Amino acid sequence: MAEIVLETKGLTKYYGAQPALDHLDLRIPRGCICGFLGRNGAGKTTAIKMMLGLLEPTAGSASLLGCDSTDLTPAIRQRIGYVTEGHRLFRWMTIARLEKFQQAFFPEQWDEKFFADMIEYFELSKKQKIKHLSNGQRAQVSLALALAPNPELLIMDDPTLGLDAVIRRQFLEGMIELITRQGRTVLFSSHILADVERVADRIVVIDKGVLRADCSLEQFRASVRKVVLYFDDSVPADVELEGLLHCRRSERQLELTLVGVDEAEVAAWAKRAGTERYDFVEMNLEDQFIEFTAPPHRRRLFQWEEARP
Amino acid sequence: MGAMALWMQISSGSETPIYLQLVEQISSAIAKGELRTGDKLPAVRVLAAELVINPNTVARAYTILEQSGLVTTKTGSGTYVSDPKLRHADAAEINLLAERMDTLITRAVNLGLDRGALTALFEKRLERFAGRLDKGKAENG
Repeated sequence: MAEIVLETKGLTKYYGAQPALDHLDLRIPRGCICGFLGRNGAGKTTAIKMMLGLLEPTAGSASLLGCDSTDLTPAIRQRIGYVTEGHRLFRWMTIARLEKFQQAFFPEQWDEKFFADMIEYFELSKKQKIKHLSNGQRAQVSLALALAPNPELLIMDDPTLGLDAVIRRQFLEGMIELITRQGRTVLFSSHILADVERVADRIVVIDKGVLRADCSLEQFRASVRKVVLYFDDSVPADVELEGLLHCRRSERQLELTLVGVDEAEVAAWAKRAGTERYDFVEMNLEDQFIEFTAPPHRRRLFQWEEARP
Repeated sequence: MGAMALWMQISSGSETPIYLQLVEQISSAIAKGELRTGDKLPAVRVLAAELVINPNTVARAYTILEQSGLVTTKTGSGTYVSDPKLRHADAAEINLLAERMDTLITRAVNLGLDRGALTALFEKRLERFAGRLDKGKAENG
């Protein structure tokens, strides 16, 4: 079992009477890239800020590299990289000045050559001022700043929000580059599921402040499934299957979205319900995520009048 | 080795998980003779960086290829395409293959193809693999 580098225990935050994060328990092992997923307002940024000690929890605790988040020492902070949502950098500074500023926090392990190479690769000049850069260029600078100290743990809050495909890919390359170094760990939040699928080997899903999944990406891919059952006459009125997320019906077909139900259970239930004909429908990660986090019994926003049986 | 990954195309957002895309593409390259016995696959980290995918995903694909006998890993040296004579197809794998054929046959039936048309199509596609198919068992077909 790999060492746990990020842990939360009952981590909770209330804004007024509403919990933004409700008893989050997480254990992220060293050496993985973890995609932190959830819809807008699910509590991701709140969780990340508490992990970094930037926000005080209402209850519970978080720790990074074995050190409590409310008490991160400079020595521990040096081993952690953080990229904020929106890449807020000091606008009046030049890239060179910003490098010096950032370097001061990581005196021992700042890799000047790596930083210079990245700035050159991005076709930027260290003399440029932050305020004259585009959103994409600011994001590139913040990626270079985050990777230059070679952090053991890199936490990024929706780093590719609003960026074009090329710059998004550069962020993914950066994460892969970091993770291929021994013992590095990345946690990043994102809404681009295709990006998450590419680089993450583990995912955490939260919904309305509550943890819904913490598993390998492969396990998630394998456990959220859709099956269509075909009936000769009418479809059964009730579906009693543990792990049922959604159920849609037409005259002679029943479409079930299931989580953690294996094929044998589906076959057994189908037989009891009076059919042996069913097909599993393959889903991509985005569809799986939508099915997994959409409210139960959701209706389509736009819907034609249903055919009557 | 750099050219090796040129023919590999990873598509994120697909119904097929990325590790399976790798397994399918490497298996297909071996079946078509694009990768030959003794060819070395790129190192996990190299391929991961090149395709911009998680190294564990590449490792997972290599493990599956190894379990099916298509490649062998020599400790400290790398992963190589194995000798076809040493490969084994067990009953479970043949079953899996039969199931996948069912999916294709279902489609063909729904498209309105009859037995003759489907057989002809199958024979035509087999030609693409002629080099590999006829080497092992000369009596076939």
